[in-house]
Amino acid sequence: MLAIKIIGCVLVIASSTAMGFFFSNEMKCRVDNLKELKKLIVLLRGDIRYASTPLPEAISSIARRSPEDFKTFFQSTSQKLQERSGQTFAEIWKDAVNKELAETSFTKKDKLHLIGFGENLGYLDKDMQINTLDLYITQLEEEITETSKTVKEKAYLYNSLGIMAGIFISIVMF
Amino acid sequence: MNAKDELLKIFSLNLRTIFGKLSIDYDRLQEIRLRINAPLLIIYENREYFVTDEAKLVDNPSLAAFITKNEIRETMEYISNYSLYAFEEEIRQGFITINGGHRIGIAGKTILEQDSVKWIKHISFINIRLAHQVKGCAVPVLPYLINEDAGGIYHTLIISPPRCGKTTILRDLIRMLSNGSKYQAGMSVGVVDERSEIAACYMGTPQNEVGIRTDVLDCCPKAKGMMMLIRSMSPQIIAVDEIGSTEDLEAIDYVIGCGCKLIATVHGSSIEDIRSKPILGELVKKQLFERYVVMSNRKGVGHLEEIYDAFGKLLYRMDG
Repeated sequence: MLAIKIIGCVLVIASSTAMGFFFSNEMKCRVDNLKELKKLIVLLRGDIRYASTPLPEAISSIARRSPEDFKTFFQSTSQKLQERSGQTFAEIWKDAVNKELAETSFTKKDKLHLIGFGENLGYLDKDMQINTLDLYITQLEEEITETSKTVKEKAYLYNSLGIMAGIFISIVMF
Repeated sequence: MNAKDELLKIFSLNLRTIFGKLSIDYDRLQEIRLRINAPLLIIYENREYFVTDEAKLVDNPSLAAFITKNEIRETMEYISNYSLYAFEEEIRQGFITINGGHRIGIAGKTILEQDSVKWIKHISFINIRLAHQVKGCAVPVLPYLINEDAGGIYHTLIISPPRCGKTTILRDLIRMLSNGSKYQAGMSVGVVDERSEIAACYMGTPQNEVGIRTDVLDCCPKAKGMMMLIRSMSPQIIAVDEIGSTEDLEAIDYVIGCGCKLIATVHGSSIEDIRSKPILGELVKKQLFERYVVMSNRKGVGHLEEIYDAFGKLLYRMDG
């Protein structure tokens, strides 16, 4: 009986520790993802500002330079745009954000921001377009600084909370 | 994918279905007009028709398919490839050239900046002019333009009312002069295509056949373009569409002074008509042009009426 209890405790502690690590890792990944996204949006801005490249083309060239996490997102968006299937840009963008970014560590809020950004692409003149891109880049930067500031403490907190919670549950149940 | 499918892709889904079902010869379709809250209209074989939701051609506007704001917005999105900003320069001028060389004229609310148009928002009127090249339409004209003594061609002015095919004939002349024909060896031709009508470049690539020795300066003001081409590409012939402004004439003087031959077109109905115009009349009086080709649509688009020499002597007249 004791052996089973001990095995149970070990399992509980192991899984809650793993959960703690998962959350802290997720947060670190989110910062990396945000940084990566910012880099890609800066590339998009360059393409639009200096070459006035149309979105399907600009997005497909970004897809070629993207890391794996974002590749399918940009690729499928560009492909859908080229199909001209009857959806507006904002709809295509929104679908892609919801479907193709599941692998990333973005939060719901990040995705909402990204969708909101898509709503303002395409139909404006160049100055306004650049402004929209600038605004989104600033937004991303703020998010990155804010998250980076707390990421260390929070990661530590999640890790230890995971272990502690595991121990606590084991003691209570023992 | 054929030209029709390519063209259909610029329309909203609803219009795409209508035009897909429409049983007409797309080669003879000239214009498609979309106006907000107005019936769908096409110009086919020089005649105006309304198009119904069932893709039938009718004369009664009340039976026709109705164009909504959304229809226009969606169509504009496809025309601009979801990227209106990429066409800023074109929108300022009021038209966009798309793949296939078709010209999309647009109108809506203009935004001004320092007295010039900066942008058009709320685009509500779209006019799609379909580009058709008629290869060989300039064959009857070509022999009259060849200067056998000098081994080149004459300075030529093509005179025609709007929508009579002067750009089409100019394009075909460019193609034949550039490729070479039985009358002359191929010559290098410089085209200043201010409104992207001649070569109809889409992203730099001519969509129309303009010959193997042709250089195209796309979307460039004619006067500036003519001088640029002479300096940069050393053409033997310069071709431009729709001359008329004072700057154009200065540039023409420059072109002729450089030993280049010039082919130009102008809106008008006859030599007398051109002679009476304040600026162009001067050129006619100075006998700068050595050949005048007069066109009309008396017998359909691209009907060649007469050809005159510099002194107004008739060289050719279409019978009947």
